[in-house]
Amino acid sequence: MQASRARLFKEYKEVQREKVVDPDIQLVCDDSNIFKWTALIKGPSETPYEGGLFQLAFAIPEHYPLQPPQARFLTKIFHPNVHFKTGEICLDILKTAWSPAWTLQSVCRAIIALMAHPEPDSPLNCDSGNLLRSGDLRGYRSMARMYTRLAAMPKKG
Amino acid sequence: MPDSTEAAEEPRSDQNPNPSASGFLGAVTAEEGNEWSSFRDDEIMKQHSEIQAVEAVKIPFVGDKEPITALAAEFQYGSPILQEKIKLIAEQYLALRRTRGDGNCFFRSFMFSYLEHILETQDKAEVERIIAHIEMCKKTLKSQGFTDFTFEDFFSTFLEQLESVSQGQDASISHDELLERSRDQSISDYVVMFFRFVTTGEIRSRSEFFEPFILGLTNSSNTVDQFCKTSVEPMGEESDHVHITALSDALGVAIRVVYLDRSSCEAGPVTINHHDFIPSAPSKMSTERDDSTMASTNIITETATVSNPSEQEDGTTATAATTEDSRPPFVTLLYRPGHYDILYPK
Repeated sequence: MQASRARLFKEYKEVQREKVVDPDIQLVCDDSNIFKWTALIKGPSETPYEGGLFQLAFAIPEHYPLQPPQARFLTKIFHPNVHFKTGEICLDILKTAWSPAWTLQSVCRAIIALMAHPEPDSPLNCDSGNLLRSGDLRGYRSMARMYTRLAAMPKKG
Repeated sequence: MPDSTEAAEEPRSDQNPNPSASGFLGAVTAEEGNEWSSFRDDEIMKQHSEIQAVEAVKIPFVGDKEPITALAAEFQYGSPILQEKIKLIAEQYLALRRTRGDGNCFFRSFMFSYLEHILETQDKAEVERIIAHIEMCKKTLKSQGFTDFTFEDFFSTFLEQLESVSQGQDASISHDELLERSRDQSISDYVVMFFRFVTTGEIRSRSEFFEPFILGLTNSSNTVDQFCKTSVEPMGEESDHVHITALSDALGVAIRVVYLDRSSCEAGPVTINHHDFIPSAPSKMSTERDDSTMASTNIITETATVSNPSEQEDGTTATAATTEDSRPPFVTLLYRPGHYDILYPK
């Protein structure tokens, strides 16, 4: 518990420095609980998520960084590896391939990379996965684009 | 195939925002989706720790010292060849100390065996030597782009343990205390992770050397990086020759592995194989050699006493047959397919 707190504090300080370096990620620690974080990430360009701002929630376990943070999308997203209802993310580094070498910041980068490179063969959202697996890129993109507009972009007027 | 009109209809079904239930694709996949949703991340993690808890009851991270006869008892209904081999092991080895089979057994065995050796010998020169190597490992990791704070806690945990076993005969922690710490997850797992960082740094810095050995283990194209990310850096990933070679080289500590498996039992009398992992000449030190200061020369000489000079030219490890002139490695592990324990020579 003490070790995880110390580590998270180091990450907190690092995040303050990195803000300038990586404008696509804005990590925020809960005011009263260092084990709860949220992040705002920008949808990568040249993807259906471009222009969207997606919110992630992190719950940090007691044995962090030996155990991975739990991460999920709070913003609705249509993506093969994100559960459409719960926002759960299917990403190996959040499960078996986790290592303390990762940080909350680098996990965010990995999630952005996942948005740009979906892996339809291990889908959490089967509809999205099936569209990609059947080669219907246009279908996938239009669905993903629509949800980006509906959920991840500021409402106009 | 969703055209724009159908897609536009989606958000209207307020009660059921899941598109899998909305018709065109839903029939086949809805059920699958539900199955998945019942396995949440936290539940999977919970299940993992429950399995670990069951294992923990069977054996602590590091077990008690057992007479070598315990091994014979375990295999009394096993293959006759293995029974023969155990007899041979019993001729040379006194005792055995088991470690938990949680994928970290090699690192955990090395940790205990090494620290116990330092505690018993109070070998100050060895402590200084390994500390110099550890400093090198830190620099290596930094140069590879690892962020300091991701590994420094693990390094300090190991250095703390090293310090507390090398305070001299009276001031050091007791043997029992060392055992207790090795069983304490918050220390034991941190030391394991320290070794994983050291190992990954070494493999990455000599990727061209390790690549041929890794090539057969993964299908991926970016083999070394991928191997380190998936098979070295995460906790619970099992070790093999690549890990052992890298750790031995990085820390400059020789490791003897005794094989209790079905190897070399085809023809002739049953023999017991062992393999000595002799650290190759510390390539990273050679850059310092240019300074030709006394200090760095000392480090090299010290390394040479645990290395086998004859093996340093080609940088590979070899079996013990040729190492009569150097003292045997003080870390001795027993390998059974998929698992490492600690062995105590007579």
